[in-house]
Amino acid sequence: MSEVVALKNPRSGTRLRIGFLRLTDSAPAIVAQEFGYFAEEGVDADLVEEPSWANIADKLAYGFLDAAVIIPPLAFAIELGLRGISQKLVIPCNISLGGNTITLARDLALQVRETAAKNGISTPHALAKCLAGRDRPLSLGIVHAYSTHNLLLRYWLATAGLEAGRDVRLSVVPPARAVEALQSGQIGGFCAGAPWGEIAARAGAGINVASSDDVWRGAPEKAFAVRASWAEENPAALKGAVRALARAAQFCDAPENASYTGALLSRQKYLGVDSHAILSSLPGGAIAPDNQSRFWRGAAMFPWRSHALWFLQQMARWDLIGNVDTQALAARVYRSDLYRASVASLGVSLPKTDSKSEGAHAVRWELDASPNPIAMDPDSFCDGTVFEGAPDKVTF
Amino acid sequence: MPLTILLIDTEENRARALEDKLSQSGFARVVRAEGPDLAQAVERAKPDLVIIDMALPDRDALEDIRAVSAASPVVMFAGTDDPAFAQEAIAAGVCSYNLSGVALQDVRPIMASAIALFKRYHHVETELAAAKALLNERRLIERAKAILMKNRKMTEPEAYRWLQKKAMNESRKLAQVVADFVADVENQKRESKP
Repeated sequence: MSEVVALKNPRSGTRLRIGFLRLTDSAPAIVAQEFGYFAEEGVDADLVEEPSWANIADKLAYGFLDAAVIIPPLAFAIELGLRGISQKLVIPCNISLGGNTITLARDLALQVRETAAKNGISTPHALAKCLAGRDRPLSLGIVHAYSTHNLLLRYWLATAGLEAGRDVRLSVVPPARAVEALQSGQIGGFCAGAPWGEIAARAGAGINVASSDDVWRGAPEKAFAVRASWAEENPAALKGAVRALARAAQFCDAPENASYTGALLSRQKYLGVDSHAILSSLPGGAIAPDNQSRFWRGAAMFPWRSHALWFLQQMARWDLIGNVDTQALAARVYRSDLYRASVASLGVSLPKTDSKSEGAHAVRWELDASPNPIAMDPDSFCDGTVFEGAPDKVTF
Repeated sequence: MPLTILLIDTEENRARALEDKLSQSGFARVVRAEGPDLAQAVERAKPDLVIIDMALPDRDALEDIRAVSAASPVVMFAGTDDPAFAQEAIAAGVCSYNLSGVALQDVRPIMASAIALFKRYHHVETELAAAKALLNERRLIERAKAILMKNRKMTEPEAYRWLQKKAMNESRKLAQVVADFVADVENQKRESKP
C-alpha cells in the first residue's frame, strides 16, 4: 500500500493558490516554485496564471485564489469592495520596486525627445508642449483603473500640468494588446509593467520615454497579498511562503542570475515571450538599463507603511476612493509585523521603523536597521516632493 | 422592454449559441462586441449588461470606471447575498457587468443561461483535450516500442514491460517516461547527423 502512495508522489504541505500575471516581476514567485523553496517551507504552492487583473480580484474575492502577486491599489480596492464584493487582505511583504515604462508611439516619442533636448525641459513638459496644438486629446493606455500605472502616470503628467480627462484620455488596454493598439492608433502610448514596453520597442511600435524611476525612484510596484482568513488559519505556512519569496528575491536580484531567470520566465507556461525582452528589466540583465525591477536590495521586500499611505493618498487625489481612514487601512493591510516575524530566522537586517520619509533621498543613503544598516537607493519624486505618510513612527 | 446585452466572447460557436438562446427568450437583445476598443463598443451599444469570457484579458478594460459608465459598473452579483451564484459563474469562466442598474433578479436567468453554456463548452473542451492526450500517448508508446524492438531486438511484450518497469523505477507516469524516451532518442539521432 505504501508503495502505491509513493508512486503517486503525494503532495504535502499547506496548499496555497497564488495568482500571477505574465509580467517580469512575477519572477520571485516563479523562482520560489521552480526551485522548490515553497515546498521546503511546507507550502504546497499552485501558481495560477491569470489573463487579467479583474480575474485576480474576483478569484481572491470569491476564494478561488488564496494569494496573488498584485498591484497594491487593486488590493485596497478589493479590501474596500470598490469593484465587487469585499475581501479582507493582508500584505506581508512587497515583491518589487520599479519596472514600469511610459511608452509613446514612435513618432510622438521622437518629437517629445527633440522638444525636450531643444528647450532643455523635462520629458513631461516636452510632452505638454507637443500636445498643445492637437485637436483631440492624446489617448494613453493603462493596465487597470486601480493600478500603480494609473497613479504613476497621472503623477508624472500632473508635474507638467497635464490632467487625465482634460488633456489626455486614459483608457484601459491589456498590456498584451498594447503593441497592436499602438500600431493601429487606438492609443498613442501606454504605461505598463515589464516586459511590455520593451516588446513594443522591439516591434518598432513605441519608444520608452520614462520608467517608474523617472516618476518616483524606487517606486513600490507589486506586493504579495494574501486573503486575511487564509493568513489567520495558516500562520506557519504564511511565514514559510514569505521566507520562500525572500530567498527567491535574493536569487532574482543577483546580476549573475539574470539570464537564468529570464530563460525561466520566458517559458510558455509563464510569460511565453522572448527571454531577451524579459532580460532587459531584470537586475544585471542590461548594460544600459532604462527600466529595471528590484526584488531584494534596498529593503525591497519590506512592506513600508509609507508606501501604502502614498498609494491611498494618490487614490484619494484622483477620486478613486471615498472618505476612508487611510492610516487605519494602511496599518490593517500592510503587515510589517508579519514580514518581521517571517524573515527573523533568516538573519537578514530589518528596518527599525515601519515608515520612512518618501522622496527625502536624492542620493544613496543608509537605512537604520538591525543588526546592520541597509544600503538604500535614492527615493526622490520627479517633482521633488517629500511625502511624510505616517506621523507616528514606531521604533523597533 | 428587452435588456440590451453586450456579449464579448471570441469562441464563435459558444457566442452564437448564447446569442440565439437569449434572443429567443425575448428578454434580451444581444449585441456582439466588434473590434478591440471595448469602451467604444460600450458607448455604441449602451448595454444594460455585459457578459464576457473570463479568459480574455479585455476584462480589465471594462473595469475602467470612467470610460465605461458614469456610475461604477457592478461586477457580477456584488451587493447581493448570493455568492454561490457568482462562484458558479467564475468556475464556469464567465463574468458579467451590470451597467444600468437593472434589477439583479432580471439578470439572474440571463447569467444562468450563460453559465450553463460555458459549462457545457468547458466540458466538451476538457473531453477533447483528454482524447487528444490519450491518442498522443498511444502513438508515443507505439513509437517507443518500435525503437526498442529495432535497437535492442526486444519482442513487443518485452518492450512494453521494459517501459512499464522504467516508469515504476522512476516513480513516474508511463506517458511521461515514454515521451522523454522518444524525445531523447530523436535528439541523439539529430545530433549524430553530420
